[in-house]
Amino acid sequence: MNVLLAGLTAAVLAGAVVAVSAREARASLLGLLVVLLASSLLADPLPRPLPLAARIAAALLAARLISISIRGLDRPTAGSRLGWPVEALAAVAAGVVGFGTHGLGATPLGPALASAAGCAVGILAAAPMVTSRDVYRLGTGAMLLLVGGLLIRVGLGGTPSDLEQLVTCGLIAGVGGAVAVVVRAARAATGDLSVGDDTAAPRPPSRHLGRSGGGITARDAAHLEPVAPVAPGPASPEAPARPRRRTPAADPFAGR
Amino acid sequence: MTVLPFLAITFGAAAASLLLRANARMAAAIGIAGLLAAAAAAARIRPEDTLAIGGSELAGSEYLRLFALIGSLVALALTVLGLASVSHRNAPGVLLAGMGSAVLALALTDARIGVLAATAGGLFGVLVTIASPATPRSVVVASRELRALAVAGVLAILATAWIGRPLGGLAVVPEVFGFAYLGFAAAVAIRFGAIPFHFWAARLADAAPEVTLPMLMAWGPAAFAIVALTWADQSVAPLLLPLTAERVAIVAVGAASAVLGIVAAAIQDDLEHVVGYTIIADAGIAILGLAALSPEAWSPAREWILVFITVRSAFAAWAVAMRGAFRTRRISELGGWAVRAPLLAVALVLVAAAAVGFPGLVAWEARASLVDLTIAGPIGIIVVVSSVAQLAIYGRLLVVGLSKPSAAVVAGLSERPTWPDIVEGRRVVGLSRAERAFERGGHAIGGSLDVLWGIPAAIRANRALLAGAIAVLVAALALSLSAGGFGIVEASQAVPVPGGPGPAEGPGAPSSEPPGSSSPAESPGSVSAPASAPPSSGSPVSGEPAPPSVGPSVQPSASAS
Repeated sequence: MNVLLAGLTAAVLAGAVVAVSAREARASLLGLLVVLLASSLLADPLPRPLPLAARIAAALLAARLISISIRGLDRPTAGSRLGWPVEALAAVAAGVVGFGTHGLGATPLGPALASAAGCAVGILAAAPMVTSRDVYRLGTGAMLLLVGGLLIRVGLGGTPSDLEQLVTCGLIAGVGGAVAVVVRAARAATGDLSVGDDTAAPRPPSRHLGRSGGGITARDAAHLEPVAPVAPGPASPEAPARPRRRTPAADPFAGR
Repeated sequence: MTVLPFLAITFGAAAASLLLRANARMAAAIGIAGLLAAAAAAARIRPEDTLAIGGSELAGSEYLRLFALIGSLVALALTVLGLASVSHRNAPGVLLAGMGSAVLALALTDARIGVLAATAGGLFGVLVTIASPATPRSVVVASRELRALAVAGVLAILATAWIGRPLGGLAVVPEVFGFAYLGFAAAVAIRFGAIPFHFWAARLADAAPEVTLPMLMAWGPAAFAIVALTWADQSVAPLLLPLTAERVAIVAVGAASAVLGIVAAAIQDDLEHVVGYTIIADAGIAILGLAALSPEAWSPAREWILVFITVRSAFAAWAVAMRGAFRTRRISELGGWAVRAPLLAVALVLVAAAAVGFPGLVAWEARASLVDLTIAGPIGIIVVVSSVAQLAIYGRLLVVGLSKPSAAVVAGLSERPTWPDIVEGRRVVGLSRAERAFERGGHAIGGSLDVLWGIPAAIRANRALLAGAIAVLVAALALSLSAGGFGIVEASQAVPVPGGPGPAEGPGAPSSEPPGSSSPAESPGSVSAPASAPPSSGSPVSGEPAPPSVGPSVQPSASAS
């Protein structure tokens, strides 16, 4: 096993865990940048200098575009509901699976560590892609998902050709630009990173927090906000049979 | 001439248009000039021209030339229509970039790179999905679009990578090929917004400008689908594997989209939703082409894809012209439109003829072939009947158009030609003949200048007429293509040059030759399919194998030219 590739794989995993679990947007972006830079090197043989330079430039461009969109952000991102230890363990487990199934039934042309890193990054991207209403996390998940796919492709098919590297650069920069556009638009529209579908019914609160939530409502785990005090209503002859549900006024995200 | 000038023009003009988008007129002018130049460059693409670049190849073909040419012309018409109606300052740039990405994806001989290009092209749509000022709804739609693009992209990347290498030692042949095939087909269905992946696409019709809808929902995904079709034909079909379950799943998605898409379009009151759901319905037929895995499906599938995206672009152009003339998209508010805008009525009839067709028309035969090859029995009949039943949609629009004029239509623009009253009458006051002659000459020059100066105002005053004329032209283009014009049949029969390593090569023997040098005639046999495996061709629903035939899958690549 190549020590350099092992180090790059570790860097990819660490960066991806930070990218999906950090609540500070800049830290998350830094993790994403590490993933993009390390994944461009994760091949055997290494890419030629010119394609490599292009990949690095595309990674920096994508990160720069996203950084512009989160400039002046005074609220944290949603972060991970599971927490970074769980994310890290899941990534390691997926990495082991990727390493063990390298080649997927036939002779691979690339390093096993690329497959491992690809599976790990892909599994980390799943939660933000499926559940998050935070557009920044969703964008991070989209980028990680594509990078995971590209890493598995390197593991299966070997080092990409120069033209493939060039088109990959366009894809990475394009995803970065798209994420930046969406994040900027979300902040302009709502002042926040989380947007809900105004036509959809409000989602119930997290089961882990309970329906009443102890004075706290949560839509995404990071956005814990105190519940606005509810005005006392008229006396009721009967006690409610179950805990009172959130009122639309108390839920700042309802109806968005 | 290779495809390179086309790519340089489209991407260069797209960048210029987007950089100057603060000035909407400038962005539109650059977009129009770029699309004109792109159409000229597309017409000069030659099938025999290939360009080796960066370890891969860009190859021209008749089909690519037709795709690029028709796409550029349609995008040009939509851009001009956007000036007469409602558009977005990013729309010209997005149309150019989307067309450039689609042509790049089709020109690349390596499917692994083609899917990257097709995915990257779809990302430009986010620029127009979020209109300014941004709303929570548009942000939600854009984020769903981004999610769909990423998921479809990674499925396609994995599928092409899985099979795009030597597979001689593969232990579980049907499973591997089946998963890869199913993954790529699912990616195509997601990109098209086929049912049940249609939620993001249905919302897209609300958020994106009308002029960009064909690019986002038809042209970009169509390039993705054509790459998938080529990949399946070169990598999966020659192996004759028993992929019945996978094909049944793909057929189910295609048939459901074809039938339910028409039903959904028929009950909509919003013109853009009608256009969007008819695109989804036609995409269902295209997905059937992926399920066929038969040489007989190669040409009809490619014919159908090019025809349907052109027809739906014409339908979208008609809807844009309607919106521009009457300032509403609601069908219930468009009573009497056909009387007020007869050119648009003609355009709708042409679109209906091109979309539904009749026996003998290329579009009709292509659709019938794809249904015959994939669905047998009553379900196939239902799919065909649903395609014909879309006549009810056009009939409903025409009935509304011939009814009593609504307030919106009365207040809207008429197609009646008019000229702005800006030419002043000039009296001749000279006394002598020479003096009067000079005076008349001066008045003639002044009158000519008045006319020239009045042209912009005349265009504005007659924009409904011009929009109607453009809609008729695009509809006529679609009908011509649907009838087999522009050599679409011959172009669709051409086989692309295979590129990149694939399952054709032996185990552990990566190709040392440049991509594209391997002969597809050697493809079957390198991977040992089970001898008892039934062939994949034939209807997966009925289970009846089709007679063996030699088609594009096993023909030498020289026939591509």
